[in-house]
Amino acid sequence: MSTVPLFTDESWQMPSKGKVAMLSLIIGECGIFGIFLAAYIFYLGHNLSGPTPSILDVPVFNTVCLLSSSLTIWLAERAIERGEIRKFGALWGLTILLGLEFITGTALEWYALIYRDGLTISTNLFGTTFYSLVGLHATHVVVGLVGLTTIMIFTLLGKVRQEHAHRVQVFALYWHFVDAVWVVVFTVVYLVGR
Amino acid sequence: MADQPVPIAGPLEVAYPTRGTFLEWLHSWVTTVDHKKIGIMYIVYSLFFMMVAGAEAMLIRIQLAIPNNHAISPEMYNELFTMHGTTMVFLVGMPILFGLANYIVPLQIGARDMAFPRLNAFSFWLTAFGGFLLYYSFIGGFGLYGMGNAPDAGWFAYAPLTLRSFSPGHSIDYWAAALILSGFGTLGTAINIIATTLSMRCRGMTLMRMPLFTWLLLVVSGLTLVTITPLTAAQVMLLLDRYAGAHFFDAQAGGSPLLWIHFFWVFGHPEVYVLVLPAFAVANEVIPVFSRKAIFGYPAMVAASVGIGFTSLAVWAHHMFTVGMSAAGNSFFVLSTMVVGIFTGIKMFNWLATMWGGSIRFATPMLFCIGFLFQFLIAGLTGIMLAAAPWDWQLHNSYFLIAHFHYVLVGAIVMCIFAAVYYWYPKAMGRRLSETLGKWHFWVFVIGFHMTFDTMHFVGFLGMPRSIYTYEADRGWNTLNMVISIGAFIQTIGVLIFAWNLVYSYFYGEEAGSDPWDAWTLEWATPSPPPVYNFATEPEVRSRRPLWDIKHPQDPDWKYEP
Amino acid sequence: MSEQIHLEPKGMVGQHIAMPEPTAWPIVLAFGCTMAVAGLLTSWGIGILGGVLIVAGCVGWFCDVLPHEKHEEVEILDQPIIITSHRALVERIQVHPRHRAHLPVETYPVVSGIKGGIAGGIAMIIPALIYGWIAHHSIWYPVNLLGGAGVIHWRNPSVADIAAFHWQGLLVALAIHVITCLLVGMLYGAMLPMVPRHPIVLGGILAPLLWTGILHSSMGIINPALDERIAWGWFVISQVTFGITAGIVVSRQERVPTGQSLPFAARLGIEAPGLMHSRPDVGPPRDGGKH
Repeated sequence: MSTVPLFTDESWQMPSKGKVAMLSLIIGECGIFGIFLAAYIFYLGHNLSGPTPSILDVPVFNTVCLLSSSLTIWLAERAIERGEIRKFGALWGLTILLGLEFITGTALEWYALIYRDGLTISTNLFGTTFYSLVGLHATHVVVGLVGLTTIMIFTLLGKVRQEHAHRVQVFALYWHFVDAVWVVVFTVVYLVGR
Repeated sequence: MADQPVPIAGPLEVAYPTRGTFLEWLHSWVTTVDHKKIGIMYIVYSLFFMMVAGAEAMLIRIQLAIPNNHAISPEMYNELFTMHGTTMVFLVGMPILFGLANYIVPLQIGARDMAFPRLNAFSFWLTAFGGFLLYYSFIGGFGLYGMGNAPDAGWFAYAPLTLRSFSPGHSIDYWAAALILSGFGTLGTAINIIATTLSMRCRGMTLMRMPLFTWLLLVVSGLTLVTITPLTAAQVMLLLDRYAGAHFFDAQAGGSPLLWIHFFWVFGHPEVYVLVLPAFAVANEVIPVFSRKAIFGYPAMVAASVGIGFTSLAVWAHHMFTVGMSAAGNSFFVLSTMVVGIFTGIKMFNWLATMWGGSIRFATPMLFCIGFLFQFLIAGLTGIMLAAAPWDWQLHNSYFLIAHFHYVLVGAIVMCIFAAVYYWYPKAMGRRLSETLGKWHFWVFVIGFHMTFDTMHFVGFLGMPRSIYTYEADRGWNTLNMVISIGAFIQTIGVLIFAWNLVYSYFYGEEAGSDPWDAWTLEWATPSPPPVYNFATEPEVRSRRPLWDIKHPQDPDWKYEP
Repeated sequence: MSEQIHLEPKGMVGQHIAMPEPTAWPIVLAFGCTMAVAGLLTSWGIGILGGVLIVAGCVGWFCDVLPHEKHEEVEILDQPIIITSHRALVERIQVHPRHRAHLPVETYPVVSGIKGGIAGGIAMIIPALIYGWIAHHSIWYPVNLLGGAGVIHWRNPSVADIAAFHWQGLLVALAIHVITCLLVGMLYGAMLPMVPRHPIVLGGILAPLLWTGILHSSMGIINPALDERIAWGWFVISQVTFGITAGIVVSRQERVPTGQSLPFAARLGIEAPGLMHSRPDVGPPRDGGKH
């Protein structure tokens, strides 16, 4: 007679479900970005009229801000892992500021494009693909900022503790993805496509 | 050894001690986060829509039964074939596979629930509401023909027909919006299944000991991640075109309808494998159990499934040989498509080798799986024929093509869905489905199936194109079309027998016990229906067939497995 | 014979397991999303309703999982499971060592076939050239018959034309001859072990005769011009020369084992309990000695 559960092996480790899920979501997001990028590249130089990508200014400062936010969020992850909540809060706040700078920069860029160059989503193919691709990324930044801010509020309320490090890290994966995708979008739109 | 009765006190009463009022009952289903209840809701939902889409197919066949028929209006006809395709793919095929996955995967890997139970409920309701929104268009959708204009541009919704200028009103918007919603539901469930299979396995359940059903659902979910998202992206583009004045698919502003075709099939072809791999998954469970043999070539099966997953991402343009690609493009997609035949061939031979020398029990699930093997072989062969570009140029969008993909979708997938329901119904409901009705269902359905879809190949050869409203009497298609319609009617009878069996056996079926089929995977080590927590104690497995090890202590599998 | 095993230990009954608590917020959120999208299709009011429901759903859901996921205690029921099978007898497929006939245990390596093809190809040139010299006083006649397709400007050539030297014809004939000889040689190498008795008689005489028969009946369709001119007696002689030479060369080569003597499962590298023998030396992975 023996029973089924034989707990003789204590080393049975499974990957973290949060990280697996976030990585799966990221793979799915890659599909969405891939299609929008494909459309952008496919329509490069297909404009019948109106402004072309040559009117774009390269947003160097924005890009530096967004990419360095990846560094600050990584430092924040390490801080919460060690239980340094104050340091975590400071770095997390810095990440939000950098993200806000990026989204403000994008808003200003769009404002100039619309009112200075007269480029809207319905002007021509460049407008269509540019606003949808960069807008898709900006949407992700906004979603990320909402999440970052929520965690920040809880940090300020003193509800975030060391044991939440894992959840914070899972969320940080998403922010890293948003940054990484910007590298691709930036390269395609501002470096190659211009 | 005597056949000992399994002492289980009335499972239905035990699992749900108090039925309560109707409202309490409804509340328990609406708020549930239990993977088993969600799985059942998925399956009931998709079986309901299977009846709906089947009824639409019947109307199509009534219209086409005789030449110059006007049983339904041409506008209605367009809506019907669009909704038939859309429903069968998005509201039947996908939900039922996720329903099965929801119910079976946690049980098979010895988990108490999915990785994210609330996300699971959310995904289901999103998919469900998406479906209802789609069907609301029959009442509330305003389109070219006024109110009640359901989507009518084909399930592939080729541009430029879907643009504002050709499809005014909202009928196409209903199509895009509903599918975006259910697409996100699908994405959520796929993520959930991946996280469950990778992170929730019980002790000893290494990846190479997972049941093949779970393995294939893992592959399907991974494939879904990169399949459904391109469609969502393309539909967002379509909505931008229609609402914000963008020009993605607007040829007059330089946009390219061809791009939509590419985007659609980047989704559309892997989607076929998303649908058919769960069918393989069911066959992987049913065939060994009813052949009384371990599955032949487990690693080869896993490798072939993963191979199909990857290959299917590089074959989409074989739907597009007639749009005029370059010779290099044609050759690439011909060859990549034929590679799929190698992987499915591996699977085919493994199933046959599993049955070879086995002591086969011809119970209803096994009958459906044998039907599947036979019909999937033919479907694969016509697939290889259509994969050759010159042949495809001749027969593209003819009824030969319709016959080919219905052979896959009905002959393989629906057959395996039936097998799965007959196989796992005792686990979910505690009662077996009637074998007598099941055999009637099988034979009536198979006869109807072959009448309909074998004959469709021939009208295809005779030049009948798809999606036509009616045809002249002098084309030589009259008798064949009548045969097809009669076959469709017979299939409907088969499905009605099935529906009656589901209801009848729920009340009067034979008590199932925990393990009615003498099977080997962990779900059969729980009571039928399983309690909320599935397993009181966490199980531990040592081989691919944990119950075999328990049933045959002198001869357990782990002695042989690597 | 089977041992009955109780899955539910008696001691657990009545204890509790924490399961996720049922919650309405997912359906609220899903309905909100649907309404928000439906607002696009119908009217703004419905869209706003959707937005409100989304916010409510998000907040409600948030409160469900933070700071701690809500659980309900589920009581463990007394549902003993007995896992047993009345089919306790396991039958193994018995394979007698001599119960195998169709596939050779040993075969000739591919290289031996190539060697045979080369030897046979050289040997069969001799009768062909003799035929050309005797019949038309030109050794180029059979060469051009084989490689005539390479001589582009030919339209209905006369016998004198064919008997003359054409370098294109020679090249094409050489190519056809070399490739065919190598392929047929490999085929001989693979097939000779399957004709167990009198390999040279069967492989060297019978097979060329069959081959010639097939060509004789089909050459009128494949190449009518060649069919008119071919001398079938000589053709058979050179084929048989090839067959015997190639057969002798191949059968004198060293044989190599095919792996047929290994167990089937081992050759495929797959798990097949019925076909492989138990490994008594290997114990269970984690046997706590509780049996």
